[in-house]
Amino acid sequence: MCDNSNPVYKDPRHGQSRELIYSYDKDGNFEKTVGFHGETDRVILQQAWDHFHERIQLAKDQVLAGKVSPVVYYMEKNLLDPLSLSMLSGISLWRVKRHFKPFIFNRLREKTLLKYTATFNISLDQLKKVE
Amino acid sequence: MIKLDYEHRQAGHCESGVTSNLLHYHGYEISEPMAFGIGAGLFFSYLPFLKMQHAPTTSFRVWPGMVFERATKMLGVKTVVLRFRKPEDSMKKLNEILDQKIPVGLQVGTYNLTFFPPEYRMHYNMHNMVVYGYDDKIYFVSDTLMDRLVTITYDDLLRVRYAKGVFAPMGRMYYPTYVPKDIDLKPAIISGIRKTANNMTGVPFPLIGTKGIRFLSRRMRKWERKLGPEKAAYYLGQVLRMLEEVGTAGAGFRFIYGAFLEEAGGILKQEWLREMAIEMGETANKWREFSYYGSRNCKKRGKADQSYDFLADMLLDCADREEKIFRKLAKIK
Repeated sequence: MCDNSNPVYKDPRHGQSRELIYSYDKDGNFEKTVGFHGETDRVILQQAWDHFHERIQLAKDQVLAGKVSPVVYYMEKNLLDPLSLSMLSGISLWRVKRHFKPFIFNRLREKTLLKYTATFNISLDQLKKVE
Repeated sequence: MIKLDYEHRQAGHCESGVTSNLLHYHGYEISEPMAFGIGAGLFFSYLPFLKMQHAPTTSFRVWPGMVFERATKMLGVKTVVLRFRKPEDSMKKLNEILDQKIPVGLQVGTYNLTFFPPEYRMHYNMHNMVVYGYDDKIYFVSDTLMDRLVTITYDDLLRVRYAKGVFAPMGRMYYPTYVPKDIDLKPAIISGIRKTANNMTGVPFPLIGTKGIRFLSRRMRKWERKLGPEKAAYYLGQVLRMLEEVGTAGAGFRFIYGAFLEEAGGILKQEWLREMAIEMGETANKWREFSYYGSRNCKKRGKADQSYDFLADMLLDCADREEKIFRKLAKIK
């Protein structure tokens, strides 16, 4: 929905762009307007980002508690799910899911770990712990 | 260094905007709704088995690439569409084509797109933009979503062109090579409308077209009971995001399609298309109402402001209206 007042976002970088939106008025004309996002768009976009941040925080807690491996944390941080992570890294889905267990992850070869570091664009030391 | 004299015009939908702008560069004037309508871009599908960002996929448009390919084919424009196995080849070819003074359309993923608004930077591989020039390691980009021209570096462009995942672009690039002098729009419009009408009402499969809207409405009634209030709100939010967010120009392309019907009525000189356009506009306003009430459910966590039955009834209303419209449109001559 188009609105020329810029609503306040939780993240200050959000909601800065002006977009072209079509609309239909009572007189039967289709109009084009360029403007900032309205309230509806802000709510639904904010919901998605809240959801992502929540998942990242949950993954972080679980890694620190030793329940899952850091791969899960980096997966959530990059907004991925197991299927897209396997597509991105070139490791098959069942292996990716196996690597979520800390016991399996700790004995992985460097060759496999390097695939993950290349996917997440981080160093090997970073992969082994969460900051 | 190459920088073509390319006119950037902002558009509601990325792909039809790119089609309209590319043809404009080659000297043929076609509006964005016209390109969208001839390309038969309007669609509906609900795919509960395909999860996108942890929620079922809802789509209000056809497969990526269809609008450009169909629209240019119907208009008799000759085009080249290329994909590459090796990333380096794709960049070499891109430079080659730009040297011939032809702007090139690209399909890219949005996650690593540096100039893109940060709120949209999720894994979404169906975005389209035009490259109209390059300098040493810098490419000049016209993105119809943005209100200004932007640039991108060589490495970043390579990364977004080879984004992986669902609908991976694989370096897909496309450009028109030959545009005929005088184009007859009438058969193209009729064929486009027929195709859309068939997509929406004529396909015997429960997940697409108006049947798909009804299916979604049935599922929506069960969400709160089956998934719990929080997850139900997130699923609803995902539908709304596909409906209102980036690239739909509002109400899941229904406004843009109404504008197309109005324009088509003028060109074909058929008065009843104008009435259809009015009905389409009213339907679009219903969709917008749906997203307004729906977003109130997403606002408070776990507390439904509107009941899901109420929202599902609104969806049914939209489905009925659209079915009526497209059953009539299918009879166009």
